[in-house]
Amino acid sequence: MKRMHLIFALAGLAVSLLLPLVVRGDYHLQVLFRIYLFAALGLAWNLVGGYAGQLSLGHAAYFGAGAYGLAVFTQAGLPLGIALVLLVALALVFALLIGGVSFRLRGPYFALATIAFAEVLHATAKNLPNLTGGDVGIQVPALFHNHVQRSFCYCAILLAAAALAATAVISRSRFGYYLMAIREDQDTALSVGVNTARTKLNALLVSAAFTALGGALYGSLFLFIVPDQVLSIDISNEIAIVAMLGGAGTLAGPLVGALVLESASELFKSVFQEAHLLIYGLLLIVVVLFLPEGIVGGVASLLRRQKRRKAPGEAR
Amino acid sequence: MPLLELEHVTKRFGGLVATSDVSLCVHESEIAFVVGPNGAGKTTLFNLISGVCHPDAGSIRFQGRDISRVAPNEAAQLGIGRTFQIVKPLRNLSVLENVMLGAFLRTRSTAQAAREALRVLQYLQMEKAAALPASGLPLPMLKRLEIARALATQPRLILLDEVMAGLSTAEALGLAEILKKLPEWGISAVGGVEHVMQVVMSIAHRVLVLDHGALIAEGSPQHVVREPRVIEAYLGSKYKELGL
Repeated sequence: MKRMHLIFALAGLAVSLLLPLVVRGDYHLQVLFRIYLFAALGLAWNLVGGYAGQLSLGHAAYFGAGAYGLAVFTQAGLPLGIALVLLVALALVFALLIGGVSFRLRGPYFALATIAFAEVLHATAKNLPNLTGGDVGIQVPALFHNHVQRSFCYCAILLAAAALAATAVISRSRFGYYLMAIREDQDTALSVGVNTARTKLNALLVSAAFTALGGALYGSLFLFIVPDQVLSIDISNEIAIVAMLGGAGTLAGPLVGALVLESASELFKSVFQEAHLLIYGLLLIVVVLFLPEGIVGGVASLLRRQKRRKAPGEAR
Repeated sequence: MPLLELEHVTKRFGGLVATSDVSLCVHESEIAFVVGPNGAGKTTLFNLISGVCHPDAGSIRFQGRDISRVAPNEAAQLGIGRTFQIVKPLRNLSVLENVMLGAFLRTRSTAQAAREALRVLQYLQMEKAAALPASGLPLPMLKRLEIARALATQPRLILLDEVMAGLSTAEALGLAEILKKLPEWGISAVGGVEHVMQVVMSIAHRVLVLDHGALIAEGSPQHVVREPRVIEAYLGSKYKELGL
């Protein structure tokens, strides 16, 4: 079973690595980039929102930390490698601030804190023109000069592969079991000795690091960013929706979610033009109503039910 | 030195005194049962010992260490396992994985945790259910699963909150036979029950009777059921007539 998963993942990676060579044209490569980028972001979100069951609606904070971090740190004259380390560190500090306080509480406090924190950052970025360029925006250095779209595609694929590998390792480890225990019942988790606040925070830190790298990649592709683009609640929502649509708390969910959501929204954009947001919204309502566990979760429970019907009496 | 020692422990929730000046101790390899009617304060007592809530007055010592203010996860680390009155299985996980959660307290390795979990499941005679999802289990199995998860943390003391509730007398006696062996593993147990006195009589070394948060009697099962205050507060005259 485990070996099957590994073979499947390696085959997927091989196909993924071939895709940017086959796909023609900058537009199609950019769609491909978005799919893999949001797969990586959805996987990162899934650790906190899926496995640990802590709804984050403010992942734009880490995404923006990545994009703005790359811009600000390189403009300050730091080399690219140092800038990458610092932008991840910045996202980790944000995660510590949000999670360190709100993870001690139960209920919707974490979700509310994530929205509030991201919105504060959004407003701050708009109102600090000397540092962030304010509403005018800021230039982000180009990571690549040749085969730009293709190179970005490869970066997104590698980021998604790394996030998938990290999730696979975590989900089979004690850390992963503890996250699921927290999602299912915090009292039970505490009773078997889990430090729930610390465990949730660790998940958020891993998540924030991946999200920041995704943000840096995104910012560098566009070469120029404004707060409404990388720090808006739209980014937070899209990351969460990718994971939930595909199946929160499942390994493959965010991959499927990114593929469906990003290709559907591009398709709707070209077919329905301005009405695409309406269709997008309707699609979400349908999924929430009929597939509350997401696409992967829904299909999995359908298969389980069929298996049970085939072998009655076995499940006592 | 007793394993667990409560001294003048009081806990109030607003105007309600849930635990009133309770002093008690539990010794190594002892099975004690706290009995009392619904609302007598059994669950609060367990919550106090396991760190879910903290006493307003008095102290709780475990292996000589003051644990009045420790968090529930720290209490588990120190060797206090517990079950919940309302069963709390992780429904998406299998029976084995549920028990592994407990075992992870003492090992980082998934394989080691699985081995330990299987050992505990064998002890509770439910290894055949290991691969089943926890969501489909009937209540007697869920009660055992609660115990299995707590035992997998390798506790010195296990708190069994109403593990007999909802079981038939035969099922409860079957479970009691298993729990009797806990002292052989060096584990002390404190059970809490409302009914099934028959089961308590068969396995408890000592019985503590709670009424309105206060300890009103303590002693061997045979002794306690003859106490006039216990009969009045709790058992009713039936036990007097039986002449136990």
